[in-house]
Amino acid sequence: MMTWKEHLGTEIPDELGREIDIFEMQMELRRQGKLDEKIFAETRLRRGIYGQRYDNGSRHDGVRSQQLSYPSGDVIKGPETLWDAPGMMRIKIPYGGVNPRQLETLGEIAEEYSDGVLHVTTRQDYQLHFVHIDDTPNLMRRLASVGITTREACGNSVRNVTACPLAGVCHTEAFDVSPYAKACSAFLLGHPDAQDFGRKFKISFSGCREEACGLASMHDMGAIAVVRREGGRIRRGFELYVGGGLGAVPHQAKLFDPFLPEEELLPTAQAISRVFARLGEKKNRARARVKFLVAKLGIDEFRKEVLKEREIMPPDERWTAYLPQVPEFQETAVRPPAALNGHQPPPGFEHWVRTNVYRQRQAGYAVATATLPLGDLSSWQARELAVIARRFSGENIRTTVEQNMVLRWISEADLPKLYGELEKIGLGAHGAGTIVDVTACPGTDTCKLGIASSRGLAAEFRRRLGAKFFHLDDSIKNLRIKISGCFNSCGQHHVADIGFYGTSRTIKGHKVPHFQVVLGGQWTENAASYGLAMGSAPARNVPEVLERITGRYLEYRSNGESFQEFVRSVGKKELRAMLQDLLQVPAYEVDSSFYSDWGDPREFSMGDLGTGECAGEVVTLTQFNLASAEQLVFEAQIRLDDRDFAGADSLSYRAMVEAARALVKTEFLDVPGAPDTVVSEFRRRFYDTELFYDKYAGGKFANYLFRRHKSPSQSPTRDAAHQSVEESQLFIEAAHACYERMAREISGVH
Amino acid sequence: MGGWQKLGLKIFLEEPLRAEAQEFIPVFHSWIQNQAVDGHLLIDVHDYSHVHRGPGILLVAHEGNFSLDQGDGRTGLLYYRKQDLDGTREHCIREVFRHTLLACSRLESDPVLGGRVRFHTREMLLLANDRLHTPNSAETFEQLRPGLTRALSGILGRGVFSLDRVEDPRERFSVRVRVRRSFRPGYLLRRLN
Repeated sequence: MMTWKEHLGTEIPDELGREIDIFEMQMELRRQGKLDEKIFAETRLRRGIYGQRYDNGSRHDGVRSQQLSYPSGDVIKGPETLWDAPGMMRIKIPYGGVNPRQLETLGEIAEEYSDGVLHVTTRQDYQLHFVHIDDTPNLMRRLASVGITTREACGNSVRNVTACPLAGVCHTEAFDVSPYAKACSAFLLGHPDAQDFGRKFKISFSGCREEACGLASMHDMGAIAVVRREGGRIRRGFELYVGGGLGAVPHQAKLFDPFLPEEELLPTAQAISRVFARLGEKKNRARARVKFLVAKLGIDEFRKEVLKEREIMPPDERWTAYLPQVPEFQETAVRPPAALNGHQPPPGFEHWVRTNVYRQRQAGYAVATATLPLGDLSSWQARELAVIARRFSGENIRTTVEQNMVLRWISEADLPKLYGELEKIGLGAHGAGTIVDVTACPGTDTCKLGIASSRGLAAEFRRRLGAKFFHLDDSIKNLRIKISGCFNSCGQHHVADIGFYGTSRTIKGHKVPHFQVVLGGQWTENAASYGLAMGSAPARNVPEVLERITGRYLEYRSNGESFQEFVRSVGKKELRAMLQDLLQVPAYEVDSSFYSDWGDPREFSMGDLGTGECAGEVVTLTQFNLASAEQLVFEAQIRLDDRDFAGADSLSYRAMVEAARALVKTEFLDVPGAPDTVVSEFRRRFYDTELFYDKYAGGKFANYLFRRHKSPSQSPTRDAAHQSVEESQLFIEAAHACYERMAREISGVH
Repeated sequence: MGGWQKLGLKIFLEEPLRAEAQEFIPVFHSWIQNQAVDGHLLIDVHDYSHVHRGPGILLVAHEGNFSLDQGDGRTGLLYYRKQDLDGTREHCIREVFRHTLLACSRLESDPVLGGRVRFHTREMLLLANDRLHTPNSAETFEQLRPGLTRALSGILGRGVFSLDRVEDPRERFSVRVRVRRSFRPGYLLRRLN
């Protein structure tokens, strides 16, 4: 039968196609038990393939824990992660930009491999849930054919590079950051210096300081566009921040450079990556983000380390190669600019315009927000939205960190028609960026770390607030609610006016879902400040908590007092006292509804918590490179079986060079890939020093490499090719042993 | 022509609906508690009722998903395979009918829903969740029509139904099965067995 690989053929870019083929081979190696489970876990994470709740084969059904017995038995795709268990696929979309064709493809794969729903995340990604790992290579091929890669969407890598969804059309920006976000994303994707992190690394781009924009303060690296007048000309640069982050211990980013010239953006990002890889924590996962390194060293020392690294880095033409194209980065409108014509608009239009339309800097054009409830979009809606985009917006669709989608470059005169079309497909809801537009991470719905049902609570808020939206005071309407299922903050609760995160309490032996109430976070000024925790309320009471807080704010606020000012002026003690009665839980016998969560009738349990994969597996760059060498020798074995002896011999040799390079990189990170250089460096650093020597075989295995490097066979026989494969395998084993000896010596364990 | 291993079938609910979507959530959870569906490892329930033309309330299983689907603007029980079915085309169709009808029957008699859920079979939607092997084209339909007719005759009876392809090329290959009279799911199940 025809395969997607054959069907798509040259539509898949070579490099992406090759990567996916390699991953498919690694899957086979793992199935056969020939690839270490941790290495495979980190490998699949770096392809965007994530674990999902219950993938350890156990689920609490409300009465007892059930074992889920999958057909493939105990074959695993990572520690405690069963092969057959459904997983999540994260699809990174740099700065959230997709075109209609990509959106259609996303809709198709959601339908065929997932559950027919695209979920937009708080970092402008898409996520698909309940995906079988066996389907992922074809899923990735279909995405690759429309220019999307899932590479490094998860794992200890540079995650999706985000940017303000209004970049390029905003009134307050210094300049359009989109081409810089795009360049940064492409430059760091698969970059050797960004492969050896202890944890993930998140980057964002903002066009201005004042708005929420790219939320620079809560990112590992946040770049805010600034311009400087120098000698009569305008020079572009970035106010660069590092070491921000939410999670259980939120940190505000520190100013790294008030003006980093545009040509220094990529080399500085690379230098930061090198410092993070070299000095970042690797063992204690809870303290392995850049924010902890910056806090430990202090921003001045961190800066010194980065600048030192910047000095010694070999030059790379890609640092500036994209800059001449930056001015050409322009989106094209499909319709001419025109003002609203004053005709009678359809019912509901005015409300929608008030909250969902942003008038662009370019006269006659606007950005329209399609509000996605809980960030979800059906496959059908994706296809229809693509049609609408082609008609009104062209290629210009972006996701937002508030889990919505925006259509840009809409001729204002078309807004009523656009509204009508969005209404028809269920995406015309007003209230974007208001209190009804609740942000929520997946929580207990699908996340292994979720404690309480963030989506269930968000749905309840939407239901209650939606019903009375028009009666709310503007000061309440404009508040933002964000919910996380646990303290890890994927719902970004710290930067909401009113945030919640899931916790649990035990009352007389029964677990009760709770939400910690976090008040007064600041969304604007790039997430300028984080909220204060006020106390944990049982999930059942949280809607009442919201009611009381907003009611009190409305009643007692001074003239024009912002919610943040109100929270500060009232103070934590009084706010907590105000909520005190709502923090209480009735006995199970009195009201058992407190003992289950929103949207989930099962009695609440913590038994389904799994080991999260957010932190990925700590797999060193050397281990990764050795795994690549193993994959090459596996490929060589296949060639040998296919009687392609020259191919088998060549791949065996490449595998040895790759393994040697993996070792050399531990001492010489920037070693070029040319075999002559690798072999010579390997000889000098590992053979001559006897580091590579086996206790019994001495330098025998190294000589396999040297001999093959010196005298390649022109047309190897079957026996010669077979010998090459065998020797290559032995060489890689020896490389592993050598690396383990080195690691033991470094850690002092013998 | 492949793609039969990932078939789906939607059987529509009688309108007006007399049960809220959320009422199906505890029902599906109870199915998981009892692992009540033969040949399926039931995993989880998901509420997508807020998604326009989405899967509604979804019961996830390893072999195939069941959902109170809103897919084409009407509510019905959609069952579709995720793992390949073995056997002939006719066998695959019969198996998908069997699982869907069983689920419908179970919902109709569920005590929590209290008899407020009734399915009809005047119209059904048969789909192939595989755009590669079963592209949505007139050619595919012409190739598959004889086999489909044969298989459905065995389930519904000869000459009592008509077949029409859903022609939107963006959609998966789907065929509307229009039946002259509505059979009860239980009746069709007995015929199948």
